[in-house]
Amino acid sequence: MCCLVAGWMLAQMLYLGGLAQDRAQDALYTEFRGELAAGTAPIGPVVEVGRPVATLSIPHIGVHQVVTEGTASGDLLGGPGHLRNTVLPGQLGTSAVFGRASTYGAPFARIGELVRGDQINVTTAQGARRFKVIGVRRAGDPLPQPRPEGASRLVLVSGEASAARLPSLSPGRVVYVDAEADEAFPTPAGLPRVVPDPEQAMGTESGAVMPLLTLCLGLLLALTLGVIAARQRFSTAVVWVVATPVVIAVAWLTTDVVMRLLPNLM
Amino acid sequence: MKQRMRLLATALLGVTVTLPAAVGIGGTATAAADGDAPAYSQTKHLDRTISVQGQEIEIDSRDMTVTVDRTTQLRGRERVNISWTGAHPTGGRSSSPFGEKGLLQEYPVVILQCRGLDDPSLAPDKQLAPETCWTSSRAQRTQVADDSEAAWRHDKYASDAQRAQKFGLDPIPAECNDVATFSTRITPFRAANGTVYASCTSETMPPEAAVGAAFPPAEQAAFSDLEGNGHTKFEVRSDVENESLGCNDTVACSIVVIPIQGISCLDDDAACSRGGQFEAGSNNFSSQGVDLTASPTLWWSESNWRNRFSIPITFGLPPDACTVLDDRAPTGFYGSELMSQASLQWSPSFCLDKKRFKFQHNKMADAAGFTLAENGGGAAAFVSSKHTVKGTDPMAYAPTAVTGFSIGYVIDRPGNAGEFTDLKLNARLVAKLLTQSYLGSELGRGHPGMSANPVGINLDPEFQKLNPGLDTITREAAATLLSLSESSDVVQSLTEYIAQDRSAMEWVKGKADPWGMKVNPSYRKIKLPVAEWPLLDDYVPTTNDECRQQNPTPYFTQLAAPVNSIRKIAEAILDAWPNVQTRCDRSAVTDPWKIGRVDRQGVGTRFMFGVVSMGDAERLGLDQASLATRSGYVAPTTAGLTKALRLAEPSKEGDEPFTLDMAQMVRKNAYPGTMIVYTAARTANLPEEDAAKVAQFIEVSTTEGQREGYGNGELPPGYVPIKKAGVTAPLWKQAQAVAKEIGEQSGATSTDTGGGDGGGTGDGGAVDGDGAGAGTSGASDPGPGSVSEVGDNGTGDEPADQGDGEDEKSTDDRAGGKKVKDEEQELVAMPPTTEVSSPVAERILPLLLLVALISAIGANLVRLRHLRRSRG
Repeated sequence: MCCLVAGWMLAQMLYLGGLAQDRAQDALYTEFRGELAAGTAPIGPVVEVGRPVATLSIPHIGVHQVVTEGTASGDLLGGPGHLRNTVLPGQLGTSAVFGRASTYGAPFARIGELVRGDQINVTTAQGARRFKVIGVRRAGDPLPQPRPEGASRLVLVSGEASAARLPSLSPGRVVYVDAEADEAFPTPAGLPRVVPDPEQAMGTESGAVMPLLTLCLGLLLALTLGVIAARQRFSTAVVWVVATPVVIAVAWLTTDVVMRLLPNLM
Repeated sequence: MKQRMRLLATALLGVTVTLPAAVGIGGTATAAADGDAPAYSQTKHLDRTISVQGQEIEIDSRDMTVTVDRTTQLRGRERVNISWTGAHPTGGRSSSPFGEKGLLQEYPVVILQCRGLDDPSLAPDKQLAPETCWTSSRAQRTQVADDSEAAWRHDKYASDAQRAQKFGLDPIPAECNDVATFSTRITPFRAANGTVYASCTSETMPPEAAVGAAFPPAEQAAFSDLEGNGHTKFEVRSDVENESLGCNDTVACSIVVIPIQGISCLDDDAACSRGGQFEAGSNNFSSQGVDLTASPTLWWSESNWRNRFSIPITFGLPPDACTVLDDRAPTGFYGSELMSQASLQWSPSFCLDKKRFKFQHNKMADAAGFTLAENGGGAAAFVSSKHTVKGTDPMAYAPTAVTGFSIGYVIDRPGNAGEFTDLKLNARLVAKLLTQSYLGSELGRGHPGMSANPVGINLDPEFQKLNPGLDTITREAAATLLSLSESSDVVQSLTEYIAQDRSAMEWVKGKADPWGMKVNPSYRKIKLPVAEWPLLDDYVPTTNDECRQQNPTPYFTQLAAPVNSIRKIAEAILDAWPNVQTRCDRSAVTDPWKIGRVDRQGVGTRFMFGVVSMGDAERLGLDQASLATRSGYVAPTTAGLTKALRLAEPSKEGDEPFTLDMAQMVRKNAYPGTMIVYTAARTANLPEEDAAKVAQFIEVSTTEGQREGYGNGELPPGYVPIKKAGVTAPLWKQAQAVAKEIGEQSGATSTDTGGGDGGGTGDGGAVDGDGAGAGTSGASDPGPGSVSEVGDNGTGDEPADQGDGEDEKSTDDRAGGKKVKDEEQELVAMPPTTEVSSPVAERILPLLLLVALISAIGANLVRLRHLRRSRG
């Protein structure tokens, strides 16, 4: 049982979540493309959480992602998220984009490998911008120089292993990649001043998630009991055929909920 | 018997004379130029005669004495103490003496503020008259009555014209809708600019008397007790508050006290010679009609008006005097609002002296002011505690004023017995108010975890034990302490007071008090002290109320509704206008509901608290609570503050703030709200010009600025003077030393980039990073430093960004003008990235893997053993 639970979680975080993330990205891309064409894509300052706001591609490490609004753990399941109290990428000011380092497709797994001068291409409702990486920053490194007047800055944020053991499985500390573009789009006024804790780096959601989790676990329990009861009446094959997809669906859902309780950058 | 009465009267006179001194914080007593003598005291003989069958009979005769504690250098909204003896006892007292609400009384003492002086030798437009006396309602100026009821038409002292059927305006304007057959008497109001307001309907009143005016009525019809004594606080208005009345430092004004004595009658007229319906000392809660002849409505009738006591008053310079009189650019000092009353009086003494500079105090959060002073945005800061230096330049602190916070309040005793003036609070009661643990109303009852708590503090047995005899009406304002919304050393000090008290902290941590009251779960285990009080409760009550359904707002936050300045709190208490935001309102039935501030509290049932500065409280005449210490309750008096100063320990360096330990103050029975305000400035890299100004300011303010008084450059009450000798000597010495240090700019910068140029620019760089951080949330944002800091850096709105940029440039120029104008970006020392890490993120995946592997192996082992056993 333990093996099943732990194994399933591991599998979903590392592989199955990637499938879900791919699917979400496809849907987001279609949506965002439509919005760009129709001119209805958001330009800030306040965007509904979960809406796509930009596409991001980093050729050097092969990242092509749609960035959505919001950086809470749940928001990052579908792809990189934009920190809500910063300007949108490409606008005048500094923008921050968070992405997962090892689970759910791990879009930002390799941002630590970027070097000075690498390109980051961003497309938003206001147009396309090409950023040049200034450098990779970890705890203790000095912040980059003050932003030149009229420039736009982009900070990619993700997790990274602090020790050499299991580097792809223990993204415990935060890594930042600073990039800059010389020209910037205008920024609309009225940006929120602060974001709640769950949306900060390594933030975790709690509170609101608990009832949902209880419900999911309850469902799983009921399913288990149901399967046991059904096995006494029907043949094993029938029970397995009927129950397996339901169990997988509920387990999948439950893991998604559990993910929201875990740090957002892992 | 008569002799005894007189003895009693003189004794009471003595009491009332010394009362203002006792009410004031010690300072008042010595501030008065000639010892304890009141600023104004006069005795007059009053009488009233009526006519019975053509024969004149004197029915009343008395000597009345009026004393006023302060008449010079007043400021707008300041309250003066007026007391009197020997008046006619008041009957049918109304609960509120103010404005129109005070009219239904008999034999009160009417107190008005009038423009002009009572001096027949002056030009007519400089003299006072009923036409220049301010009243806020039509009823106080215009009487229309049936001829048989028009008591004023039988006034013995009035002229024939005044006794005519119509008097006041000729012809009576059409908008007055005058009834030709009735007697009409109009006292129009003549405004300072010459406009005459007919004042016969509410539309023809001056604009300041409009319905829902910014300030509540100040004029009163105060009561005299059974012995004929009385006391009240009268609020004066300058032309800032009341332009039509127009009193200021150049236009002379008077307070006019008119004892209502009843009309002396010329002939046998029933309406005129009535003696009043109410017994002396009785109340008129139900607003029944009174005998017009003895009512304050007829204050303008000659019989009453001739008995007036005219007290000439002078106003101090208006708050904007320096802006008007001095066209030099001001030098800004930023920070603590505790200084505001002192700076109000100090600034003219700087700007009107060409040898000094133009001093300007900009009030803001202490931390923000300190940051400005540190990074070059301002010359100096006013702070009252030690702040962390974020840049590279050293800062020095010069003690400038000794004052503090207090809990101001306005509470009425039940049964029209006047104001309650002896409030005692302890740390746990303050904690209960701050943590929003009173329910406020039945709406709060549904809050989980505290449904058994009292609705308001006046229903809390702990409070009732300390302050017996108050009412038990439930009101939302009694559930809250109006406090500051922004970061401030005052909030820090107030929460330190809670934090040092064991029983209060145990209660905050979740232990119920002896009466079963529990802390609001949203605030349980909150870490104290804090500089900024957080609003943590998010309980939204479920009701059927349409307005609340349309505006779902956290209820306890609406009750607390903190404001951003201490002055606003003081004025809210002065007006008895709680900032509770629970009033539902809509202009029409089809409009959506809006939530707004509740109404002003009615006099008689006022009950509200707020955190105020001692300077404001003294200026506006607010009552201040005594706070619990180890053995007793200490009021914010000079004695209480001085005791605290004895405990202040100077820093080792000699230019840092004194240590004023809250626990020690409480142990030694000093006033816990004592705070020392410092002028903090850089001792290196401050431009020479600014350095000289700051040094001059410290020198002047700690010498001539510490003389007590109300004049320019003097120290108002609410502050303890810092003197060369006595308990304040160490403060004085440090101030002089720091003034010298700042003037010389000899401090060593802690820069490690080396070279004067580098030091200068390094400073500019710090502006950009830290300044932006402080601007958003008081520099206390614990979030993942690097992201939000970098974010803020650019997200600041454009003007601010540009301002920073300019600042940077000017700093560079000051640093020697050596800046090379090439395109290459100079290197700026940036703070390091803050560490953010999550052990959960680091360990969960390996852990899951481990668990999966071990349990897989374990399961297989178990199965293997099973198989072997079944075979065996």
